Amino acid sequence: MVKRANRPGAPEHSIPLRVASAAAVLTGIAATRAEGELSTLVAILTGGLVAVGMVFSYLTRERPQGWVKPTLAIAVVVAFSWFFYRITSHTVTDISAVESPLAVLFAWIQVTHAFDVPARRDLSFSLAGSASLMAVAAAQAVDLAFGIYVLAWLVFGLWGLMGMWRSASEGGRPGLPGVVGSLAAVAAVALVVVAVLPAPHVAQNISFPSASPGDVAIPGQGTITGDGKNPNEPAKAGAPGGPTQVGGFLGFSKHLDTALRASLGNQVIMRVRGSSSSYWIGETFDQWDGTSWISTGRNLQQVGTGSPFGIPEPNDQNSPGTPTLQTFYLATYGPNLIFHAANARVVWFPAGHLFVGSDGTVLSPVTMGPGTIYTVQSSVNQASPALLRGSSLLGDRLPSGALKLNTQLPQSYTRVANLARAITDTQPTTYDKVEALISWIGSNTHYSTNIPPLPKGADTVDNFLFGSRIGFCEQISTTLAVMLRSLGIPAREAVGYVGGSYNPITDLWEVRANDAHAWVQVWFPGFGWQSFDPTAAVPGADPTPGTALLRDAGGPLSRLPVVPIGVTLAVVTLLVVVRRWWQRRPGSWEEELTGRIERVGIRAGRRRRPDETLTEYAGALDTLAGDRSGTFRSLAWMVEESAYGGRPPSAESRRRALETVRSVRIDRGPAQADQPAQAVQPGR
Amino acid sequence: MTLTAGPLPPVSPPTARERRAARRVGMLGNRRKGRVHPLRAVLPVAGALLIMVAWGTVARNSGSGWVQALGAALAGVLLTGMVWPALALRRARVHCTGCPTDGSAGLPVEIMVGASARVRVEPLEPSGPETFVGPGNRSQRGEAGIVTLVPGGRGIHPSIVVELATAAPFGLLWWARTVRVPLPTDLHIGPRPGTALALPPRHDERAGESSRRIPTVVGEPRGVRPYRPGDSRRWVHWPATAHSGELMVREMEGPTAEPILVNVILPSSPVVAEQLAGRAYATVQELLDRGSPVLLGTVEVNGPCLARVADRRAASRRLARAVNGSGPGPGEITVETTGPDR
Repeated sequence: MVKRANRPGAPEHSIPLRVASAAAVLTGIAATRAEGELSTLVAILTGGLVAVGMVFSYLTRERPQGWVKPTLAIAVVVAFSWFFYRITSHTVTDISAVESPLAVLFAWIQVTHAFDVPARRDLSFSLAGSASLMAVAAAQAVDLAFGIYVLAWLVFGLWGLMGMWRSASEGGRPGLPGVVGSLAAVAAVALVVVAVLPAPHVAQNISFPSASPGDVAIPGQGTITGDGKNPNEPAKAGAPGGPTQVGGFLGFSKHLDTALRASLGNQVIMRVRGSSSSYWIGETFDQWDGTSWISTGRNLQQVGTGSPFGIPEPNDQNSPGTPTLQTFYLATYGPNLIFHAANARVVWFPAGHLFVGSDGTVLSPVTMGPGTIYTVQSSVNQASPALLRGSSLLGDRLPSGALKLNTQLPQSYTRVANLARAITDTQPTTYDKVEALISWIGSNTHYSTNIPPLPKGADTVDNFLFGSRIGFCEQISTTLAVMLRSLGIPAREAVGYVGGSYNPITDLWEVRANDAHAWVQVWFPGFGWQSFDPTAAVPGADPTPGTALLRDAGGPLSRLPVVPIGVTLAVVTLLVVVRRWWQRRPGSWEEELTGRIERVGIRAGRRRRPDETLTEYAGALDTLAGDRSGTFRSLAWMVEESAYGGRPPSAESRRRALETVRSVRIDRGPAQADQPAQAVQPGR
Repeated sequence: MTLTAGPLPPVSPPTARERRAARRVGMLGNRRKGRVHPLRAVLPVAGALLIMVAWGTVARNSGSGWVQALGAALAGVLLTGMVWPALALRRARVHCTGCPTDGSAGLPVEIMVGASARVRVEPLEPSGPETFVGPGNRSQRGEAGIVTLVPGGRGIHPSIVVELATAAPFGLLWWARTVRVPLPTDLHIGPRPGTALALPPRHDERAGESSRRIPTVVGEPRGVRPYRPGDSRRWVHWPATAHSGELMVREMEGPTAEPILVNVILPSSPVVAEQLAGRAYATVQELLDRGSPVLLGTVEVNGPCLARVADRRAASRRLARAVNGSGPGPGEITVETTGPDR
């Protein structure tokens, strides 16, 4: 059996099959390079050698060189030795540490294999080997740009597989319906698998990659900076295209101006891999001045001497929660805030130290641009409404300083307090009061970003509640916070991003610039700060890949311009119909008359046979009609004399002939209708 | 004078290929087993499962959606590649577009087979080497390819049994189906000529004149008549043919010479019967070559048949129809002559 397995196969002469296999391997190498698992030099070297090897194998397919196999065996041994040396020369903590050497090993094996692929079976190994390269690359891919490589690899792979069948079947040529059908089946199965399988959420016991290419230390320890290029500016996540002409979210700074709403773009800010969606919090604000929020009690302190960093638990957040992991892949420059879900506990970050505020805000000491990856383990305390309702019985209190800070108001807000009391008068607990206020805001206000900037000196909350009652998330959340503070309930403003849209292909949450958001955190005894979002009362559900696909497909479809598409389709259909009619119109008088005779026959249930001349057919129709004068046969004679005899009738005769055949009808009796075609004998 | 066949050489058992073919032909009667079934499926299926498990492990450990998406595409390719051939095979239609009417056991017979899709055709009854027919490089859609049959024994075949197989379009797993393909005309497989019985030399051979003697048609010419299938080409009367515009042959009076009776009783053992029929065929050939009229006695399905054979083809067909086990004992060939010079 071993001998049979090692027996060399018949030489494969198909060049397309060889090209497809080589292209699949080269695509795998290119994809691995694109994801940073291979250096450019190694990618070029291995890609070139694969191409040379394939050509060499083709040229020597019928006369294998004796020195090739020993040489390749030595090369493989060297490659494996190098690989084991690399992975044993330092401590391997997880699989990510061996990915890069593994990619080099896979590429090198492809190179050695490429020099010895004389037979079809060997080429199939090349195709399968390219899949391992793609797997290594796909494990690192986080954006849809990788789809180009996937598409190319699938095209080359399927081309190669079809080439193998073509070769195995001695030149079998799959028909177009077969090819289209099988490809559709592949796509359908793939879609079903993607939709049905749960997302491949990563195991909880491995550490994540972290990288920060080109990072620069931020001047001013613990300050928040903007896009990394201009450290003195606040974050600029969007382009200034809206009515306010202000670009970027204004919250990621030391203050949050609620009078202005920036016009935020749609570009991806970051991608997040996590077991579920969350509000990715950046920072919180505690002091309200009537227009802006300011962070005053942050008290940043430097933590850690290297990754991972343990984040000390804030004094006012003393409740345990469920640990969850998130990995953030930044796609653009942004503020040096380390976003996270709920309360960060451990951070893997490529820096020597971090800054942590007493409110849980985590700051990076270096700029964070595209390619920055960091991982956060958060503690999520999802207390149920029942628990929060009962929290007042716990007797736990905020420290007086913190309580004062988080119930601070710049003025008395009499109207606001009266309104808040009127809404919550009958509510027994803090939680019920919060819910009642959210419900009232949801019923009595409207969301819009297209509103004029607040007049200078106007109070945001007064203007919102007793003015237009139209605002955006910062104004809505601020209103809730101020109403709660007017009731003596500690509340603060939180800013960050909402969960983003789930991409079922990459299994990542794609957070865009316009996902920037503001919400409210309310302190509960025993449970600490709990988030409430008055802007969106219904929190985002954790979607499955299938529902995400349906949502992604359904959204654009519902926004399709139906009328233009309908008009276009109608025009195209009309053009197709006209074109078909134009192509099928009779080219000559003879064709027209023949067509008319045949149509009369079809209506009478007697179709013309392929082997039947027009005269024979006309005779059969005369017989069918019981026409002894032979009307159809004389018409057929006219056609044949004109077409083959070179004696065209006069225009008058033509006209009369057409009129005659137009007026003739053959009664289709039951006996005639059932009469077989062969039974009609043309008169000879 | 009476001659009897001597001892036959030892019989070789059927080959593994013949046994396998016979088993698959037997499946035709079984509704379940005669349907589309995979060929050597263990290795491809196990390989596919292994790939998917490995891929799932990578997806699980990397947590990458792209790995899962690629795995889904791979699953699509593997599943389609393994199931699609079964569907394609169910739709595939084969038909015979042409075949000869006669052949000999053990010698190749080529028939034309057309197929709606590219399939591998392996003749099972009669058996033969596998080949591909259907649309391909060298043939258009539906154009016939040549399938070679190597019949193992005598018989009349109104149809052949073939195994169709395909792995289109990805070549991952082969599926097969056994079908019966009707032939346009019956295929008569006569025996393979063996060693003729040792006939006594002719009278003129003893005189050294046999090399000059040309076999003639027995009987006297009586007139001409239109050609009928089975007539010897030597009987064609060309002047009459030219005159009438259709093929005319001489019509003979009855033979004047006494015919030689060759009586064949085949044993029940198929292999021995083949050998005995081959010897009988060779003996009849030799007698016909001598120009002797031959009366061939065989036992057919409908009973004993004793009739004159005019040429080799007629003899071959008679022996093709002869049934085994027509008499007790190991079977025999007897040649009975009546005239002094025959």
